[in-house]
Order: sequence, then C-alpha cells, then structure tokens
Amino acid sequence: MFNEGTIYANITPIVKSPIIGYRISGEDVLFILKKLTNKNFKNNHSLLKLVDLYNYDGTILDKCSVVYFKSPKSFTGEDVCEIFIHGSPLIASQLEKTLKSYKIPGFRIAKNGEFSYRSVLNNKNSLKQAKAVNSIISNESFSLLEYNKRLLFEGDKVSGLAPLREEIINIFSEITASIDFVDDEDFNFKNIMKKIRFFFNYCNNLLHKNRTKIEQKSICKIMLIGAVNVGKSTLFNKIIDKDRAIVTEIKGTTRDFLSNLVIIDGKKFELFDTAGQRSKQGKIEKYGYKRAQSLSREIDHFLILSDKNTKSVDLKQLFYDFSVKNNYSLIKTKSDLYNYNTKDIKINHHLDRDNVLKKIKLSSIHKKYVNNKKIELNFDINEIEFLEDILKYEQDITKEKDILIIAQLIRNILDDFSYEFGYINNEDIYDRVFSNFCIGK
Amino acid sequence: MFHVEHYDVVVIGAGHAGIEAANISEKYGLKTALITKNYSDLGKLSCNPSIGGVGKTHIASEVDILGGVICKIGDKSAIHYRVLNLSKGPAVWGVRAQIDRDLYSQNMKKFIKSSKIDLIEDEATNILEKNNKIIGVELSNIGKIKSKAVILTTGTFLNGKIYFGNESQEAGRIGNSSSKALAKFINKNFKTMRLKTGTPPRIYAQSINYDVLEPQISENNGIFLSYFTKQNTNKKINCFITKTNNKTHKIIRDNLDKSAMYSGIIKSQGVRYCPSIEDKITKFGDRNGHNIFLEPEGLNSDLVYPNGISNSLDKKIQLKFLRSIKGLEKCEVDQFGYAVEYDSVDPRELKNNFETKKIENFFLAGQINGTTGYEEAAGQGVYAAIHAAIKIKKIKFNTKVFERDNSYIGVLVDDLTKLGVTEPYRMFTSRAENRLKLRTDNSYERFSTIITPKAFNKAEYSLISKNIVNEKKILDQLKKLKYSPNNLMKKNIKVKKDGKVRNGFEVLKFLYPSPNNFYQFFNIKISQKLLTKIYFDSKYDVFYEREKKSFDQLSKNKNMKLTNIDFNKIPSLSKEILEKLNKHKPENLYDAGKISGITPSALFQIVKHKKDKGKKVA
Repeated sequence: MFNEGTIYANITPIVKSPIIGYRISGEDVLFILKKLTNKNFKNNHSLLKLVDLYNYDGTILDKCSVVYFKSPKSFTGEDVCEIFIHGSPLIASQLEKTLKSYKIPGFRIAKNGEFSYRSVLNNKNSLKQAKAVNSIISNESFSLLEYNKRLLFEGDKVSGLAPLREEIINIFSEITASIDFVDDEDFNFKNIMKKIRFFFNYCNNLLHKNRTKIEQKSICKIMLIGAVNVGKSTLFNKIIDKDRAIVTEIKGTTRDFLSNLVIIDGKKFELFDTAGQRSKQGKIEKYGYKRAQSLSREIDHFLILSDKNTKSVDLKQLFYDFSVKNNYSLIKTKSDLYNYNTKDIKINHHLDRDNVLKKIKLSSIHKKYVNNKKIELNFDINEIEFLEDILKYEQDITKEKDILIIAQLIRNILDDFSYEFGYINNEDIYDRVFSNFCIGK
Repeated sequence: MFHVEHYDVVVIGAGHAGIEAANISEKYGLKTALITKNYSDLGKLSCNPSIGGVGKTHIASEVDILGGVICKIGDKSAIHYRVLNLSKGPAVWGVRAQIDRDLYSQNMKKFIKSSKIDLIEDEATNILEKNNKIIGVELSNIGKIKSKAVILTTGTFLNGKIYFGNESQEAGRIGNSSSKALAKFINKNFKTMRLKTGTPPRIYAQSINYDVLEPQISENNGIFLSYFTKQNTNKKINCFITKTNNKTHKIIRDNLDKSAMYSGIIKSQGVRYCPSIEDKITKFGDRNGHNIFLEPEGLNSDLVYPNGISNSLDKKIQLKFLRSIKGLEKCEVDQFGYAVEYDSVDPRELKNNFETKKIENFFLAGQINGTTGYEEAAGQGVYAAIHAAIKIKKIKFNTKVFERDNSYIGVLVDDLTKLGVTEPYRMFTSRAENRLKLRTDNSYERFSTIITPKAFNKAEYSLISKNIVNEKKILDQLKKLKYSPNNLMKKNIKVKKDGKVRNGFEVLKFLYPSPNNFYQFFNIKISQKLLTKIYFDSKYDVFYEREKKSFDQLSKNKNMKLTNIDFNKIPSLSKEILEKLNKHKPENLYDAGKISGITPSALFQIVKHKKDKGKKVA
C-alpha cells in the first residue's frame, strides 16, 4: 500500500562518481540505521555524521556521511535518513543487498515520486508544491523553473490560480449563506452577481495576459536587416516557405515591415522582414525603416545581410540604428555571383530551404534566446488550460437569474478547483460561511 | 420476571424522534410501546416555538409524506406563518410556522391517545440484550418488558448538564433530571462525545413595550407545513423584531468572565450556526446590532421567546443586557437562558439503517445521534422505525427512496453514518448535491414508490391519490400539445429558431406561471400550487437531466471496476479519503461510495481521473 512501509531509493544516478546518495523514509529508519551503523541516531537528528557502514555479513561496507531527519521535521514528514556512499555502483549494490537482508515487512524501493507524494500526504508540501518539485527537476525553461521554485518555497499563494480559488469559495459561501441563512443577514443578489462578473473578468484578464506571456516567451524573434535589395525578402520567403513578401529586383519593395510566425523543427519563430537601408528613402520607406528600428528592442536575434556592394560604414550604421549587440549573425548573400573570403554565412537564392536553414542554424539560435528569456510567470500551461475550462461556465452563469442554478454551476467550478488544488468539501464552505457571516439565532 | 406485554418495538423517549418512531411503527402494524418519563412533557417543544425554515421544512415535508405527524400537528397548532426564500426557486422555499406550545402538546397527546400505541409513563433504566441482540427494556417501576427491537430517542438527557454563568446543575433540560442509568449503558457500549447547545431567556409578554417595535405579520399565501393541510383557522399573532445595541454589547463584553462558555467551564464544541450572543459579540461585535426576533410562545401564553440571544451568562447580567434593548427596558424574565452540555453517540456507531453495529435490533434516533432540531429528530424517528419494521416484520419497502440523491433524510443518514459529527448536525439545503430536485413541493413524487394507505387515514390517502392522478392527466395533455418556433413567435414567446417542435411541458418554462395565463395558453385549468410545481419541473428539467446523468453515471458505478486504479495518483483526494480507499480497497465505484467518509465529490474525482486516464491512453 502506498502510505505504508518504509521506502528507499537512490537520489543520485548510480554511476561511477564521487558520491552516490540514498534516501530512506518511514518508521523503520532508526532501526535500519542501528543495524547499518551500530549507532543510535535517535538524538542525532539533522546532523551530518561520518560513520562506518556494515555489510549484512558484518564486514565494513563503507565509511561515509549519514544524516537522520526526525519526523516530522523531514522532507516527507516521516523519519528520513540520507546516506552518501562513495560513488561506486558496486558499493551501492552491496548497500541495497544489506538493506534487503534485514527483511523488514513492507520495506521496499520507492515508486516514482513517492517521497514527494508522502510529503503531500503528511502536509509537508501542498499538492502544487509537490508538482513544482517535479517540474523543477524536469524543467528546461528558465522562467518556468523560477515559477516552480517560487511555488515550492513560498507556497500555493504564488500560483495565479490561488486568489481565484479563494474568490470562488467566497462567492459560493455567500450564495450558500444567502440561501440557507436567508433571514440572518442582509444578502443582495445584485452584489453576488457583481462579484461573479468580477471573477470572470479577472479570469479573462489573467488568461489573456498569461497566454500572451507564455506564447511570447516561446517565440524567438528574428529580424532581417540589411541594405536595400541585398536579398532580405528572398531569405525571408525561403524561411517562411510561402510567397508572403513580394520579392522583386526593384529597390525598396518592402516599405514597411512584414512579420510572420513560422515553426521550424517544432520551435516557434517570429520573423521580421524590414525595409532596407539606403541613403535616399521615400517618405513611406523612411517611416517603415523607423518602425522597424523601434521594434528592435524586442528582437532576440538579427540576421544582418550584406553583399559585395555593402560598404562597411553602412554596416556600422545598421548596428547603430538597431542597437545590435552581440545578438546577430552576419550573412553574405548572392554567393553564386561573388566570391567572399570571410567566415560569414554565405547563401544564394539557388540553395534550397533545408540548406539555408542548416546554414543559418535557427534551432540553436532559438535555444540560446528562448531558454534564457526571463518573464515573471505565475501560471504554467496546465493552469492556463484550467482557466479556459473555468471560463466555459461564464455565459451560463452570468446570464442566469435563478440563484439555485448559479449555485449548481459554481459547485461544478469548485469541483474543478478540487482537482487542481486538492479537495474542497462542504465543511470548508461552512467554515467560510460561519466566519464571514453572523449566522444563526 | 418480564412484564406480560411482548412488544415488537419499544420506543424510549417521547420527543419529536420518539413520537414519529412510535407512530410509524404502529402504522406499519408493529406492536409498539412509547416510554416517557413524564407524561406532561410529551411532544414538548423544548427550544424555540417554531417548526420549519430552510432545510428543516425540507426534512419535515418528507416525514409528512412518509406518514409522520410533525407537519400535521404543527399546522393544527400554528399561529403565524412565513415562507423564507420566496423570491428564490421553490427548491429552497422554507415555510416556517410559529407554534403555540400548549396547543402542540395537547394535540400531540390527543393524537397519541387516539392511536394504538401503548404509552407508558416510567423511566427506562436499562437496555436488555442477549448475545448482542435486543430482548427488552428495564423500567424503573414496571420492571422488565420484552421487545424485539428498541428505538432509543433520549435527546439531550444523557449526562445532561446545564449552566447559567458559574452555576450548573445536572438536567437534560430545565426541570428534568438527566438519565444516568441509561447513560451508563450507552457509555459502556458506544463511543460517545460531548456536545453543547444553548437557549435564550423567556420574557413575560406584558413587560415588553411592543409599541416601539417593528412587527412581523403572519403571511397568508396558502403554504402550510403539511401536504394535507387545507387551512389554518387559528387566530394569528405577530412576531416583533428588535436589536442589540452598543450598550448591550458593552455589558456582555464586560462580563464574559461570567459566561459559562467563555469562562472555560464548558469545554465542548459549540454550534457554529447557532452562536450564543457572547459569540456574536466577540466575533461580529462591530455590527450595529444583532436582530432579536420576539416570538410569542402561544395564544394564551404570557411568555415570549427572544430568538437570537441564547447565552450562558450569569442571571443578573442577562437581565441587565436585556433591559438595555429597545422595547425590553422594563422586561421581566420567567426563565433565564442557559447552556446545555450532553453526551451523544458517535453516529458512526450506526449502520446505514440506524441500527447500532454492536447490538442487533437496537436503533438510535434523534439528538442522541449528534443532531439538533425538531425536524431532524422527526426524520430520524421515521427512518429508524421503518427500518425496525423492515427488520422485525419484513415489510416491503423500497429503501432507494432514502438514497442521498432522492431525499434530505437520505442526505442526513449518509452524512451522519459516514462522516460523523463534530458539532450538532443541522440540515442545510446546501448539504444536498441534488438540491434542485429535493423540493418540498414534490416530496410525494420522490417518495411515490412507497406511498401506502397504511401510513395515512382514508381522507389523506384519497387526497394524495387524486392529486397524483390529476397531475398526470394535466401532464399528458400538455405533452400532447406541440409548438413550432413559429407558433411560439406568434404567441410572443421568444425561443431559438431551431426548428424544434416543443411540447406543452417544454414550453411551460417560458410562461409567466399564473393559472390564468396557463388557461389562456393551453386551455387547461390548473391550481396555482400544481402550476408552480410543474412550472419549475419544466424549468429545471434540463438540470434534472444533467443530475440524472451524473447519477446514472454513479449507478453505473457498480460496473466501474476500481481494482486497477491507483488512488494515490489522484492528487485531489484528501489524506483521510485516500487512507480509507487504500484500507477498504473498494472493488467498484459503488462500493467506494459506501465507505465511511467518502463524499460524492471524491467519487467524482475518481471518475474524472479514470476518464482522463482513458483519454491519455487513447
């Protein structure tokens, strides 16, 4: 059974390394430590001790660090010990063999996530926090990692859903009170509806804001800049793979800027094709160039295109105009016409798309920028989906005039929150009712 | 030596639970004795002089349709009616009647005398059992009497203790000694807990200055407690409202050390929804004042029950704070308010049929199970008696009517026996998941499978049968009428132009529900009462469908195997629930629902988890 028996597992990979760690959690920890070290750890909790470990046959297994955490002051809330043996898989296997030799009923290897799970059961962590531990370990994105860390260290209140849960419980409590304790206080249907509308507006705003944030976060913004007619639109079209930009030989075709979302190898890019740089710009082109410039702060990476005709002053001007720092790739175009003697990427319009993509290495550019983008998040993707589910009730509830039907629908929302945050039962509601309202005679 | 009479059922205690239990037991043909310590206390309203209210009426109406007496006798003795929540849907209408205490008691006595119940005035001192099965009861004077089953309904009499300020005395309620002998038996055999409740002082009517107070006039909208009541010809009285004020609050705040509850003498859990005035002032003292409802105790009574100021303060302080209140400046008190502490049995000691798990044929009902309220007690009395009859007489009875999706009695039984209580349990409509369906105006429909001539007199039974036939006739007519969206447009009714032809019943929800309107539209005559009922049936139909679907889902639960589900993977289940699931290892969802402590919401989470899991695999 899940919450019974003492469990153990390695907490580092079992490979040759300086150290291999084991964690044991459950009521038999002290007994195991006594067997393993011949020492009583009862009064030595939360202290790292250097001790001898003994094999099942009484020989010395290892000399290593052991720490004992007394219940409830441990990760799982149970008695826990952590053993850090020398990093030999052989010693590890001997340790496991020794542990098993004690034949403790119910003693077994922990299932995936079982330590975290016990921490939730024993109220050491909330459900959200336990999920966060998991996400921290498995997350590759920096912002989400930050979010999950805050969830873990600061608690459920960090989640953007937490205030919503509070609010919907309050609303439901008020509705409950207004029905079951109607003559105890003055309840006002209009007021309740106002709160409900506010709740949904708040959900909508959150959804909009965070969806945009998360989407923005996963998009790498790339801008193509360069002199007029250097071939920006040709490259742009090649990358987006459709005839969106009009590609011509006439100077200054791209007067404003074009942008397009494109997914390459599962990664999202927003590509900006800009009006070219030239000394004599038309009014509209000048405006387009300026607009592109103003966007430059949001750009992650620039593809700076040049050819044989590009003067180095103009290139410098480009760096200046777009505040390019070290986030750029230099690309020489028309390599079929000219020979270049540089390390720059060389392309021409005869190359097929795959070849071009390979040369400009969009994937690694994506990785470099997106994973390090910092956005303060208080939602993850699942929570966004959850918000969408909640908002499905909006129409039905806000148009309804019968408070009983509204109550029924809000109860459904509460059930959804139960699934996300843990259980909400009638008693939780009554607690709120009786502390918020002076009920009863 | 046993007394000559051999009974099928002996009911101990003649309060609301006991009377209903004895009545039902007798109606189902069981030889029944009703034991009361004091004949004059039979059917006494020991707390406020009113019956009904939101949640309470809901249980009472079910008792009524099961053949109980609380509503009928209540209506006979009512001297003031109000319907709470009238502006909301009828699912939460709560008719409340002010009752003349003397009339109620007289009517109850008359009723018991006219029945075949053997009324015995004596004190039960012991429950007799052999091999954990009931054989009889021992009475203080008469001695031993044989019985196949015993229903114990002793209310707050078990180790009762009452408190005024620092004074205390042993009693179930003022004037009654508490039943120590019985308490010993109960404490020996069952897990008990100590609960607390309180009552306000009683004030002499002549000493109140009504001229300065706002009256509440009895409503006359033809809504009664009982399905069978056609009219109430009693003289009606007014109730009055007054308020506590800052002066009152100060007196109470300055004297909290003279309150039994606040000075630490009483340690047991109080009732959150029935707070004492001390609680109200401490928690919500910043209010301008707390309402007090002055409820006359009867037409000829010179006493008034001031609802809203139950307390356990010293008597002198009680008088002082009362006299600070508008209209009560010169009031005189007959009986001061007090707090009561008493033992109740942990209702998880009971099986689903209210028989104790430990002793066969021993049933407990009423306040002894940790509930509060006349109506809650009455519901349990009926429930226990029906199950005693099923057990002893093998009567045929479809117990499905007591599932929690079909009745408030079901909700109460389920909550008590599965979850237990931490404070006296009172019914709220919000406890019922199927609130839209569990209405007072359709209890005859919800209990239709068990309505029997045994439970009623001839007139009552023919009334109910006639009404059911009439309703069916009207519904059949309605369902034959067909309307297209265009037809409805012409009649000024806006519906979706979905081409769907609706029948009369489906159209009903779009009409204003007056009999006149109904007649003009459908050319069918109908009473307002029936119209209101079927109007809301029409309106809630889609929600019934939804509720039914989710209940059907639960009915399918017997087929939903849980053997390969790892409950630990359902993150939203609480620790207690997980432990229970893991301990009992239910084979299917239906069994899971029967485990003590498993709530419908938890079941929902399991179903959802199972579905989600299915999706991911696909």
